[in-house]
Amino acid sequence: MLPQVGVDTVKVLRRLGYNLDYPEDQTCCGQPALNTGYWGEARPCAEHFVRVFKNADVVVCPSGSCVSVIRLLYPELLAHSPLREEALSLASRTFEFSEFLVKVEAITQVGASFPHTVTYHASCHGLRELGLREEPLKLLRQVDGLKLIEMVRSEECCGFGGTFAVKFADISGAMGNSKADSVAATSAEYVTAIDPSCLMHLDGILGKRQSPTRTIHLASILANEGPKNEGRQNDGPTQAKP
Amino acid sequence: MPQAQAEAQTKETPSENSSRDRILQQIRAGLRTVVPEPPALASDRVIFEPVANPLERFQQECVLNLMECALTADRAASARQLSQVLQSLPEGEIFVQDDPSLRQLIEVAAPGRPIRWSSQGAPAEASQATITLADALIAQTGSILVTAGCGGRGASVIAPCHIVYATVDQLVPDLTTALSRASRDGILDRNSFACVISGSSRTADIEKILVQGAHGPRRLVVILQRES
Amino acid sequence: MSTAAQRFLQDAAIKSADLLHREVIRRGMDSYDAAHLKGRARIKDWEAARQRCREIKREAINHLDRYLLQFEEKVIARGGHVFWAANSEEACTYVKNLATRLGVRTVVKSKSMVTEEIRLSPALEKAGIKVWETDLGEFIVQLRDEPPYHIVTPAMHLNRSQIAQLFREKLDPAIDSDDPVDLMAVARRKLREAFFAAEMGISGANFLVADAGVVAISTNEGNGRLCTSVPPIHVVVTGIEKVIPRLEDLAVLWPVLATSGTGQGITTYSTLIGGPRRAGETDGPEEFHVVLVDNGRSALLADAEQREVLHCIRCGACLNICPVFRHVGGHTYGTTYPGPIGSVLTPHLNGIKEFKHLSFASSLCGACSSVCPVKIDLHHHLLQNRRNATEAGATKSSERAMFRIWRAAMGSPSLYALGGWTVRKSLRLLYALGLAETFLDPMRVWNRYRSSMPLPSESFRAKWRKNRAASSS
Repeated sequence: MLPQVGVDTVKVLRRLGYNLDYPEDQTCCGQPALNTGYWGEARPCAEHFVRVFKNADVVVCPSGSCVSVIRLLYPELLAHSPLREEALSLASRTFEFSEFLVKVEAITQVGASFPHTVTYHASCHGLRELGLREEPLKLLRQVDGLKLIEMVRSEECCGFGGTFAVKFADISGAMGNSKADSVAATSAEYVTAIDPSCLMHLDGILGKRQSPTRTIHLASILANEGPKNEGRQNDGPTQAKP
Repeated sequence: MPQAQAEAQTKETPSENSSRDRILQQIRAGLRTVVPEPPALASDRVIFEPVANPLERFQQECVLNLMECALTADRAASARQLSQVLQSLPEGEIFVQDDPSLRQLIEVAAPGRPIRWSSQGAPAEASQATITLADALIAQTGSILVTAGCGGRGASVIAPCHIVYATVDQLVPDLTTALSRASRDGILDRNSFACVISGSSRTADIEKILVQGAHGPRRLVVILQRES
Repeated sequence: MSTAAQRFLQDAAIKSADLLHREVIRRGMDSYDAAHLKGRARIKDWEAARQRCREIKREAINHLDRYLLQFEEKVIARGGHVFWAANSEEACTYVKNLATRLGVRTVVKSKSMVTEEIRLSPALEKAGIKVWETDLGEFIVQLRDEPPYHIVTPAMHLNRSQIAQLFREKLDPAIDSDDPVDLMAVARRKLREAFFAAEMGISGANFLVADAGVVAISTNEGNGRLCTSVPPIHVVVTGIEKVIPRLEDLAVLWPVLATSGTGQGITTYSTLIGGPRRAGETDGPEEFHVVLVDNGRSALLADAEQREVLHCIRCGACLNICPVFRHVGGHTYGTTYPGPIGSVLTPHLNGIKEFKHLSFASSLCGACSSVCPVKIDLHHHLLQNRRNATEAGATKSSERAMFRIWRAAMGSPSLYALGGWTVRKSLRLLYALGLAETFLDPMRVWNRYRSSMPLPSESFRAKWRKNRAASSS
């Protein structure tokens, strides 16, 4: 639902000189079924994922949540699958976007410019499953013109949680509004994160409150090259209206 | 379960407790399942900062624990200190562990005070203070270790003020030392009760606000004497 | 009668919209967070401490039979009694018969979640025995006729004025202060009478130390001390999983429990009790009984994935950090153990069919696992419970059908693309027809708290193709 995140991820990686491929046979990592308890349904999906990506040197994904599934849950989900070894190998070559840049490639300066106030929400799976606390912040601190404002309880969940958001809509909505309170208290123009799903949820919550703060994925901030690209819409990917 | 059977069980020996064997069987059956464990961290990691200067650390921890610690030079100074503390308390009976060293101290520090000695029984509910010795002092946590031998169980909890008379050579650096020594010396074979006390009685059950003096003493005073 | 799941949904809706409740909890948790972080900083290597605690509990649980027998032998040798209860009924009957036989009319209790689990107080009161909860928080919720809201701070959902009002109604109409110091003093006076009148004290145990044969009880208020010192009978009611191998293990478990529970370096009174008063001792109970409660715990040992749930030391850290707990509060769970540990444990103790919803009522954010001082992978167990519930066929048939369709779509790239296209087009059409928010709108639950989701005109895949075509031409 958020194609701009993909577009901007490609833009940043190309600018840094990486040779990219997008295997068009890919579907989903299987997380929706896996997290709802439907492991039998998630398994063929995961196997499909492993087959599609088995020849890649490195897989980069702009979602900490998806990467945590591949790295931490595939070994258990595919424990008895013929593709188990392939899955383990793939898990060691799959990285979240900011993790790839900062941890693997030691890059923090990507030549981005974004003259706005931004607050950062630490998406749960990137933070706690992948241990990405500083990586996204290191990238943000190098963005020209960007002013980072820390929010209170930045590490508390935004309340999305996949099917949780619909099955327990009242709790998810309340959690989202608490997060939106923390965002609002910063008066930042943008709230950013490394997970599109958190941003999709938060965008809806902020929209309902008619908050002036907009959501934007980290990759979309980094995709901005500054003055020479002026005129490019700075709107986050989730701002596209139907 | 029938009443008669249950009543028999209140005087049980292990074999009369019918569920005992069933539970043990189920435990053993469950444990036959092998559970793999992920690799452990290196075992040489130091969990607590080693205590370099036990006396200094003990005094610092006493402040954090909201307890009073008065360092005295000798027995005479301790008696003066005790006398001062007792004068700050309301009139009324105090309870004292029946020990020769405390008898000597009380003679000087509290002439005329009504005293109940631990040899006469547990402290009265209305005692103004209790005075006891300690088995050890623990620097790491600013704690005193008392046992049933220190005037009994009530001696450290019934009165609004508990005064401990201890000497510097009773200090041990940390909990590990205190507990291994307790194990080695069989302290719990000789006492039905022991307690590591780290401050005055307290609660934060209302709005997480700290209130000193819940069901136990509001004041815990350690008179810590250099000379043993 | 409504099911536990329906009640949970209703109560969650009410509580999560209750801004006063949220504010009270928020303030309590903020002060806990600050104390907890400060406490952790006092431990040189917190991760090593967690690992050590995990290893201690793992060793104990993996040799549970041996350590329980070692503990029992020591207690009996000192003249104590040990009773093994397979379930709540056996445990309650034992305590009730003991009380009846010894003519007990008044019982003072210190905080024990196991006694809540087996519903001991109602069983004793049915036999005409007066039971006083003596922990301040427990005393407050007992006066309100409520279960504890939280396993460490039972009355954290109430503010001082609500508590002052309660005390005026139940204890003394003349109370004119809502200062916590004064409220504590009122409770102290009232409970002093109970401590000295009671013939029996009942406590829980934080640990059962196998090599020393003693129970370890941590209490800040001193009520646990009085319950175990003053009345002539002391009964310990505890779970079989509380055993630890050695006395020295407490050198790390005590500080870690206190740090995780309240942020303290160690609990004020860390008490060790091994039996009744010995000959020559000044005071103490003449009778000492330990009731070891199984109640479903031994069955968990056979679960290779979840045996570690028995490592739990009931510190409450996972409740405190849980964003779901912070929004719905403790009572909404409708279980003895609320929060993440309760959602993991309750299906094992009380049935997966009735309590599976708790494992789904989580965003799987993993905050609980990150703070657990014995490193229980709590959110992973929630996920496993979801899988177990689904595999047991306990989920809705409509949901099962939906995921079968999903599976077909995800297995085929063309179906996947078609599916995405269809969703985007049909929603666009639906909204163009003015049918947003009607029963036809699949997004209406989503839209209750959120503005409508943006519908991109084309997928990333389409953009990628165009881009590739453009660059190759």
